[in-house]
Amino acid sequence: MIVGKPKPIKEIAAFVSEFKHVVVLGCGTCVAVCLTGGDREASALARELTHPGLYDHAPPSFEVKTIERQCERDMVKAFVDIPSQCEAILSLACGAGVQTLAAVFPQIPVLPALNTTFLGALDEPGVWREKCRGCGDCLLAYTGGICPVTLCAKRLLNGPCGGSHGGKCEISEEVECAWSLIIARLTDLGRGDLYERILPPRDWSSDRGGGPRTMRYPE
Amino acid sequence: MSHFQVNEKCNGCLACVQNCPADALSFEDRGSKRVLLHNIARCARCGNCWRICPQKAVEFEHLLVGPWDEVVSMDLVRCSICGEALYTVSFQKTLSARLKEDVGALCPHHRSSVALTVLFRALSGEGFPERTKG
Repeated sequence: MIVGKPKPIKEIAAFVSEFKHVVVLGCGTCVAVCLTGGDREASALARELTHPGLYDHAPPSFEVKTIERQCERDMVKAFVDIPSQCEAILSLACGAGVQTLAAVFPQIPVLPALNTTFLGALDEPGVWREKCRGCGDCLLAYTGGICPVTLCAKRLLNGPCGGSHGGKCEISEEVECAWSLIIARLTDLGRGDLYERILPPRDWSSDRGGGPRTMRYPE
Repeated sequence: MSHFQVNEKCNGCLACVQNCPADALSFEDRGSKRVLLHNIARCARCGNCWRICPQKAVEFEHLLVGPWDEVVSMDLVRCSICGEALYTVSFQKTLSARLKEDVGALCPHHRSSVALTVLFRALSGEGFPERTKG
């Protein structure tokens, strides 16, 4: 899922301070599940933003709404009802949702309440970890289902660097070496042969190096 | 009532069934009737049915805003003094078993006022009452 973290409340307050009436729009999918952008968080944020200490003048008034998916342009257009007195929309969706709103409501400023952070998964209660960089050329079949593009700080594709010590990465004692994990997993699977296979240099144009990516159905 | 609703424009063409990416829509031809079926557990609420319907018959708003379904109804314990709802009888049993102590039917406010009364009586020479062990 897409994981987003709330922006600091002072940063959001600075965004909304110039408006009188703001619609706070939650998104009911990914960011609702990671407990940062759903209906509950939208209501809590609206309450928090009414604190007069955040502003030099009277706080704006807030109205909370939530839609299931902010990233579907036609659904947003059909089902999100923005009142005429609304001067800005504060979106708790990911960047895709914020940009969809901006496209659907070109006359209204759309402001992000979250920092879209990564594509990840819930590893344990309350802990989401990054799993995928969306590089566009998945290698997981060769790496025991562990992504070196995401989990290796150097994105190495053919084994660990000299900075791997005791299963940890040199960048931090808290970061596990992706290749240490991959070798352990391939060993468990009895597929050490995959480790011996040399992966050729990647064509990173399928990653962001090739500019914004598009998928059309059918391909 | 199904969360997936269609209006009178639906002509049973099955475009929604054929284009549902989550296989949440199906149909059965029963005798002289064609019956459209929806499975909410499979539905991703992606809106493709609404988007694809040539008749504009899918009332997708019912999948976005709907009524609450009653899931279960359980016996409730209320404060024996003020009547405030506290917890279910089943939860009270679980709590009593874990605490190895009979949890009384008192809200936090009356629990503290009863405790103060007990303390006052004890200090007045009446002594502490014995605690009920579960």
